[in-house]
Amino acid sequence: MDVRARKREEKEKFGNLSREMEATTSTSCPSTPRWNIDRPFLTGRFHKETKGTSRLADTKGFSMDLFSNGLETPIGYYNASVQELIVIDDLLSALVGIEGRYILIRRVCGKEDQISFQVDASMDLAIQELAKRMFPLCESYLLIDQFVESRSQFKNGLVNHAFAAALKALLLDYQAMVAQLEHQFRLGRLSIQGLWFYCQPVMGSMQALSIVLQKASANNFIGSSVLNLLQSQAKAMAGDNAVRSLLEKMTQCASNAYLSILERWVYEGVIDDPYGEFFIAENKSLQKESLTQDYDAKYWRQRYSLKEGVPSFLANIAGTILTTGKYLNVMRECGHNVQVPASENSKLTIFGSNHHYLECIKAAYDFASSELLNLIIEKYDLMGKLRSIKHYLLLDQGDFLVHFMDIAWDELTKKLDEISVEKLQSLLDLALRTTAAAVDPCHEDLTCCVERSSLLKRLSTLKDLEMRSVSDSNDLDELLNITGLETFSLSYKVEWPLSIVISRKAIAKYQLIFRFLFRCKHVDRQLCGAWQVHQGVRALNMRGTAISRSSLLCRSMLKFINSLLHYLTFEVLEPNWHVMHNRLQTAKSIDEVIQYHDLFLEKCLRECLLLLPELLKKVERLQSLCLQYAAATQWLISSSIDIPKLEENSKSRSSSHMLKMTTENASVTDATLVLGTGWIRTWKCDDGDGGNSSSMVFFCGNGRWRYFQMTSLIMVLILEITLSMQGVNVDSFSLMEGLNQIVEPGVDGELDLVRGDNRHVLQTKRSNDPCLHLSLAMFSKVFLVTTGQPKRPN
Amino acid sequence: MPREIITLQVGQCGNQIGMEFWKQLCAEHGINKDGILEDFATQGGDRKDVFFYQADDQHYIPRALLIDLEPRVINGIQNSEYRNLYNHENIFVSDHGGGAGNNWASGYHQGKGVEEDIMDMIDREADGSDSLEGFVLCHSIAGGTGSGMGSYLLETLNDRYSKKLVQTYSVFPNQMETSDVVVQPYNSLLTLKRLTLNADCVVVLDNTALNRIAVERLHLSNPTFAQTNSLVSTVMSASTTTLRYPGYMNNDLVGLLASLIPTPRCHFLMTGYTPLTVERQANVIRKTTVLDVMRRLLQTKNIMVSSYARTKEASQAKYISILNIIQGEVDPTQVHESLQRIRERKLVNFIEWGPASIQVALSRKSPYVQTAHRVSGLMLASHTSIRHLFSKCLSQYEKLRKKQAFLDNYRKFPMFADNDLSEFDESRDIIESLVDEYKACESPDYIKWGMEDPNNILTEEGNAKGTVDPKLAI
Repeated sequence: MDVRARKREEKEKFGNLSREMEATTSTSCPSTPRWNIDRPFLTGRFHKETKGTSRLADTKGFSMDLFSNGLETPIGYYNASVQELIVIDDLLSALVGIEGRYILIRRVCGKEDQISFQVDASMDLAIQELAKRMFPLCESYLLIDQFVESRSQFKNGLVNHAFAAALKALLLDYQAMVAQLEHQFRLGRLSIQGLWFYCQPVMGSMQALSIVLQKASANNFIGSSVLNLLQSQAKAMAGDNAVRSLLEKMTQCASNAYLSILERWVYEGVIDDPYGEFFIAENKSLQKESLTQDYDAKYWRQRYSLKEGVPSFLANIAGTILTTGKYLNVMRECGHNVQVPASENSKLTIFGSNHHYLECIKAAYDFASSELLNLIIEKYDLMGKLRSIKHYLLLDQGDFLVHFMDIAWDELTKKLDEISVEKLQSLLDLALRTTAAAVDPCHEDLTCCVERSSLLKRLSTLKDLEMRSVSDSNDLDELLNITGLETFSLSYKVEWPLSIVISRKAIAKYQLIFRFLFRCKHVDRQLCGAWQVHQGVRALNMRGTAISRSSLLCRSMLKFINSLLHYLTFEVLEPNWHVMHNRLQTAKSIDEVIQYHDLFLEKCLRECLLLLPELLKKVERLQSLCLQYAAATQWLISSSIDIPKLEENSKSRSSSHMLKMTTENASVTDATLVLGTGWIRTWKCDDGDGGNSSSMVFFCGNGRWRYFQMTSLIMVLILEITLSMQGVNVDSFSLMEGLNQIVEPGVDGELDLVRGDNRHVLQTKRSNDPCLHLSLAMFSKVFLVTTGQPKRPN
Repeated sequence: MPREIITLQVGQCGNQIGMEFWKQLCAEHGINKDGILEDFATQGGDRKDVFFYQADDQHYIPRALLIDLEPRVINGIQNSEYRNLYNHENIFVSDHGGGAGNNWASGYHQGKGVEEDIMDMIDREADGSDSLEGFVLCHSIAGGTGSGMGSYLLETLNDRYSKKLVQTYSVFPNQMETSDVVVQPYNSLLTLKRLTLNADCVVVLDNTALNRIAVERLHLSNPTFAQTNSLVSTVMSASTTTLRYPGYMNNDLVGLLASLIPTPRCHFLMTGYTPLTVERQANVIRKTTVLDVMRRLLQTKNIMVSSYARTKEASQAKYISILNIIQGEVDPTQVHESLQRIRERKLVNFIEWGPASIQVALSRKSPYVQTAHRVSGLMLASHTSIRHLFSKCLSQYEKLRKKQAFLDNYRKFPMFADNDLSEFDESRDIIESLVDEYKACESPDYIKWGMEDPNNILTEEGNAKGTVDPKLAI
């Protein structure tokens, strides 16, 4: 077959299921030779056509001229006893489908399968009636014979072939019976009544068969539908023992071919299905290599699929059959030629009524799944791989990241377009080689990548994560301002067959978690930097200065980020991992493994707040505030230290003096810091039950929502101040807007800016929320600082 | 090799506990007495390079400097079975070998004299590391060398390596029994000043408490130095596990300390460890769960700093921060549960002016050291009751100072020459303000502490103290 033809064929395979039948007919099979069709005696279609429309018309339509061409004289000329002999002779021929002298067989014109028998009208009426009784049998024979001939053609598929063969064997018996009757006739021992007597037993079965065949050929049944028809018919005929057992025998014979296809699939994972009858389709265009790129893991889910037309007796375990062969196939793809060990009674074709085949399939499934599981877990060391991913993407062994951030800092702070991924990769390799990761052979599978969008953006693009999308209009801004710190991510190479479990999608989820952790680590690192700056001024007496309060603010922020990290790692990742690890130990099949792994990731994503964009946005804002604070602190303290350092030499360490010296920055810094302490207090206020505040608790249960709500409110205030400190002009209305945005819809009072005498005061209609009031008070203070033009001492 | 830490062991006590520390580290990393990796130590996943480096023949050398003014202890080390472990270039014993005579001033002065030699050694070690994270100093604050010379080293390190962290493991003298060092209050005070000003973190190892733990918890009637030192080495090695066995968090020293230390000066940490065992002692094996370990860590009897607080004061003492390093086979799902339980039972009294909670770091246990317990835990905590230890030091100093006793020994040295005792006074002031600060931490409005504003420069309109009109606001 040329390439084009194959392509067309494949295209057809992709088509929807209704076109499946078409596709199967196009499977390559030798065509029936012409001479076979040309010779009507080979196909049982040699009977002449008649114009008669109904079989009842046969006697009326009988006319002399039909016989006039022959030498024969009408049968009526003979006396009755001779007539009987002639009729018996003719009937014996008619029973095997051959015309006699006085019994003619005609095909009804225009109707394929209808056949009419015509009897010479001059025949003795009694004999005529007796003869007519036999016609249905003759007709059935003709139908069956014709069916056998036509269904033996290649294109009709194995099931039809098998069925036809069984029918042929049946016909052979029938023909033997007719031959015996003829022998009796020759010996002169057969009367027409005798003939009728002998024919009666087969009559019912033959008629039942012909009904089935008519249905089958009318619908052009192929494959499993033939089996279904046979089985349903056998059930329908349950009352008639002989017919039922005959149909069951036929079913068995016909399904033999089908079961041997099934056997190869279930025992070897091979689809040996030349005529496209099997109910499992293989999509060869899906390559196993695609698993590492394809986000939907199509290979695993769609490479093999169930077609329509599952035989009813297999309908319940079709899924099991599919997975059994799928597993075997995976193993073969891995280069392991695994075959389910064959034993005497594992032959599926022993088609017992006691559902023997079900047990066989179950056994094969158990074997295949345990074998594959063994292969993936033992030989390909799934757990090792997962553990290694946990080391790097979930930062279970975070020391490499510390070093990596040390050495890659310059590269990461660059703008998105200027980052060299190659350089990052080499730095990452260096970091991996010099830390605990060095002994892990899997560390070479780790690659780094720089994404194009921030974490929030990326989350909103992942549709299937069931999160509400957040509309953001500042796409362009984001792209311009974003640095490697926001977009850096790690990736992990997973090879076949582990990519079945750790699919592209799973890696993407790991990456999301990593990016969030990375962000937290980055903030933590910056705050540690700020902490170290504070440590540097230890020798000064800072009591009561801005610095001492700044260090407390720094501590709160550190506490925040540490609590967040602690929550993410020790309360989400580690316990969930632990649960998954235990489950994987007891998993029975690879599908279970996949399910548990997906469940783990799903749960981690959810609990890491990644599926809650509103919350995540707030965390993000808190983080960026921490970053701004860290940057500002390092700048502020280093600028305010210069003067006291000189002082130190002169050994005068009066705090008020220093305060004066640093007043340039201090009034603004102080404002920040007062706010900072407000932040601390708000945190405290939020702890409803009055116990010792433990930020961790807020992360569990409903508390955390409120916690984030309140802290973010305060944090935004700090943000605005920091901005104004850095010389960015913030006008009062944008401040108000920001504030109203932050206050949740649940807060029913709108905030108002009231212009008092020379003072701006914030008001809210809501009076029973102490936290809100506190923050409002804070805000007012800050507002005065930024707009009220404080009188500064010299 | 990133984020290395250099250890300085100064004086008799410093070298003794340092020696124990390295023994413990070698055992945990599967390094034998000659610095060669044992055959069984193939598991990996640990970070030996933080504390060791490899010589050309692949044997591991501690990043340690052994410094003393008298040869006795160091000779002992050099004659011990661990003699080949250390880099001999890193051992410094003063030429005259006379020691510092338990005199801080002598140690400090001699330190100044040999500064160049020692700084050479430190520089060499620092140059040998990729990105030095900081220094760890082991010393006692009572004697002469560890306190005096240690103080001098702290100042110099702060000066020369201002960007690096300095952590100390400082052994505080046993104040229960009369010490053979009569001038110990002087030495302690002077050292405490340096610890306050020049160290980023001080892990307080209180000999009084160590003795008490040895007697009460380990049932040793007369604990030897070796026994208490093994407690110290356990604490030291456990407090560095997150650096040596990387986990999710606290993989660098700065991260570890930043979360623990609230303000630049309040950087004194106390420790607790459970379950405690002493070598070759058959101990009753207890059931250890995470909750068990955490709960025991919070009991004062397991804490290695003695509290001199009276009952009333003790009830006001508060934790500023806690880090529990849990080692061993831990079911991570238990952690959250245990924390919740501790919170419900209100077992911890935290400061009220800021967020505080128990932080947990789960860490692996060394696979090469067999212990009877499944889980062990170390607590590093910043607790306000530590001020009583300083108060005690202060009061002992006051007693001695009032009598003007033994000051002559100090006057011999340049710092105190010409009867200039301002150094004492200054140290006293600093310790006093430290005590005040810790005390202020106990009150809920610590934030306002020190905000009194003598010149009123901050209360004018439009500044930070701008008030809100209450009628308008509500």
